[in-house]
Amino acid sequence: MGLFLLLKFTRHMKKNKKLYVNLGLLSFFIWLLIFSYNSSKRKPENVSDLLNDFSWLHQWPKWLDLPLMKYINIIFKKLNETYGWIFEAINNFLLWQLMTLKNFLILAPWPLVVLGVAAIAYFASGKKIGTTVFVGFCTFFIGFLHPIFWTKAIETTSIMLISIFLCVTFGIPVGILMSRSERIRDKILPILDLMQTIPAFVYLIPGIMLFGLGAVPAIIATFIYAVPPLVRLTDLGIRLVDKEVTEAADAFGADTKQKLFGVQLPLALPNIMQGINQATMMALAMVVIASMIGTRGLGDEVLLGLQQLNVGRAAEAGIAIVLLAIVLDRITQSYGERLQARNMPTKKEKN
Amino acid sequence: MRFLKKLGLSMLFASVLALGTTSANAECKARLGDFDWSSANIHTAISAFILEKGYGCQVEVTKGSTTPIMAAHYDKQLDVITEVWYDNIIANYEPYVENGTIMNIGVNTPDSQQAFYVDKTTADKYNLKSVEDMKDPKIAALFTDPEDPSKGRMTSCISGWTCYTVNLVKQKEYGLDEFYTNFDPGSGGALDAAIAGAFAKKKPIFTYYWAPTGLMGKVDLVRLTEPKFSKKCWDDMSAVVEDIKANGPDAYKPSCACEYRDMALTKSVLTEWAKAHPKETKFLEKYTVPTATVNKMLAFYEDESDGDMELTAREFLKTESMWKKWVPAAVAKKVTAAL
Repeated sequence: MGLFLLLKFTRHMKKNKKLYVNLGLLSFFIWLLIFSYNSSKRKPENVSDLLNDFSWLHQWPKWLDLPLMKYINIIFKKLNETYGWIFEAINNFLLWQLMTLKNFLILAPWPLVVLGVAAIAYFASGKKIGTTVFVGFCTFFIGFLHPIFWTKAIETTSIMLISIFLCVTFGIPVGILMSRSERIRDKILPILDLMQTIPAFVYLIPGIMLFGLGAVPAIIATFIYAVPPLVRLTDLGIRLVDKEVTEAADAFGADTKQKLFGVQLPLALPNIMQGINQATMMALAMVVIASMIGTRGLGDEVLLGLQQLNVGRAAEAGIAIVLLAIVLDRITQSYGERLQARNMPTKKEKN
Repeated sequence: MRFLKKLGLSMLFASVLALGTTSANAECKARLGDFDWSSANIHTAISAFILEKGYGCQVEVTKGSTTPIMAAHYDKQLDVITEVWYDNIIANYEPYVENGTIMNIGVNTPDSQQAFYVDKTTADKYNLKSVEDMKDPKIAALFTDPEDPSKGRMTSCISGWTCYTVNLVKQKEYGLDEFYTNFDPGSGGALDAAIAGAFAKKKPIFTYYWAPTGLMGKVDLVRLTEPKFSKKCWDDMSAVVEDIKANGPDAYKPSCACEYRDMALTKSVLTEWAKAHPKETKFLEKYTVPTATVNKMLAFYEDESDGDMELTAREFLKTESMWKKWVPAAVAKKVTAAL
């Protein structure tokens, strides 16, 4: 009998699932209201006061305040005290990577670095001379604007390269996962929205307390800000692969792994490249903000120009950041174009 | 269409309402300059409250970092600054006093401090008392700068603030620059977070900091002694500091260095504004709060007000009575009524 009732009840629950979920949410909301009222320090002495004096309808009442801040602070403090060593380890690892890259680039003679960047542009663009010369000149002009900018640009670039490396190692797998399951995508999309919209300072300040001042919180912040477009474009790129092509792969008996690495990823590569390009541009946008937490680099110069009311200094540094953006954009973009051209042989024949 | 019409009408109505309220007290308008650290915020909040409720002024507060706010003040865009770190900016402030643009109207907090500090645990363990004690590679290794491991990190002042350059010169004069970097934390919030983070993780920290601040009441920092303050030495150093600020770090010349004077923070007003608003200026002249009270209010601000500066100002006006001596009885009554 009892079992029967339970069975009936579960069936009933299943049928009206949505209703119960909504009811649950409503009761949770009411509980929140009561909870925050009770924990507020500025509530009236008696609940009945609320019915006698309606002035609280006029202005948002001080007692109608979710005590989220208090709990976040408690959790954060706990995190810092108990799990500080984990963040320390991450910090040391990222910093070691960064210092190695930075010291290598700084110790290398600058003409060699300029030539190196031009060489990368040359091969990435498929041996286009125009792009190569343009990129080479832009690189040269960063140092030409102000000798200090050369080292600063290298510092900025190192931070960005590490962030982009993190973006690629985490972003592409997540994008692939999203493209394969509707459910995972529904869960991840809001998180990506959150990452793109939440103001950077919200996670920069706790970042300092966890990782210490300097480059590492900036790398983490840049990662948070720059990874969403890469995830989105990887997901989109794989889903845009022609159905016929994947069907053909199925017909040849390819398993999931072969299909992914042999068909879907190569065809999605232009889109993924675009994602990397977008992530790079977003990362550059973080440069100035990152300098507000003691990160060395070009953003530092902009901030200093601003704080000293030195228009020329800020503008020079701003132009240097734009030049750096052009260099990185041209390299990634032209590589993407080349991939695209390779993936569309029919179009090439028509031309 | 009807919706648009309605919207237009209601917007017109709203703007008329807004105009009505502003024109009612247009005879007194005060543009207050505020900074990005809490002790300045609290003075601005208290004086804004008194000016608004007691004198019926229309108050407008602009917040920013030292250089832009002071520049706006010199440019007659801001009427009142309630907390001026006079000694730090003496060289660019004085000329405007001399040409009559602005007036120094006395002390706001009588005994503020700025100095180099080390956390107490480390200071006790290694017996660190003065900046001289810091000049030891073994001590510097305690504070290793992760981005420049050959040196220790002295978390310094924000690079746009004058104290950054002052610290730079001090480091060179004391011979600290061989052992420590002059690390720019980028912003006031980042500096606070760095200190708080070091204490939370119980790691040694060597930093420039100042009081009155809320954080100072919560962490245990030991002040390192420096050569005693002397006017001559400070002025010599200030000249070098201004030179570096204008021409870059290469302009450094060996001069002199000594401790920051435990100084009085001052208030500043535009001369024009003071002439037009004699009553309000009189109040601002009398305005002064001891450091202990400021620290207490800052602790209230951080721990109990949920970060609400206006509530903190109200708390001050409710619990303290010193402000009643700054204003005539009628004004005090109005302020009390508004609490």
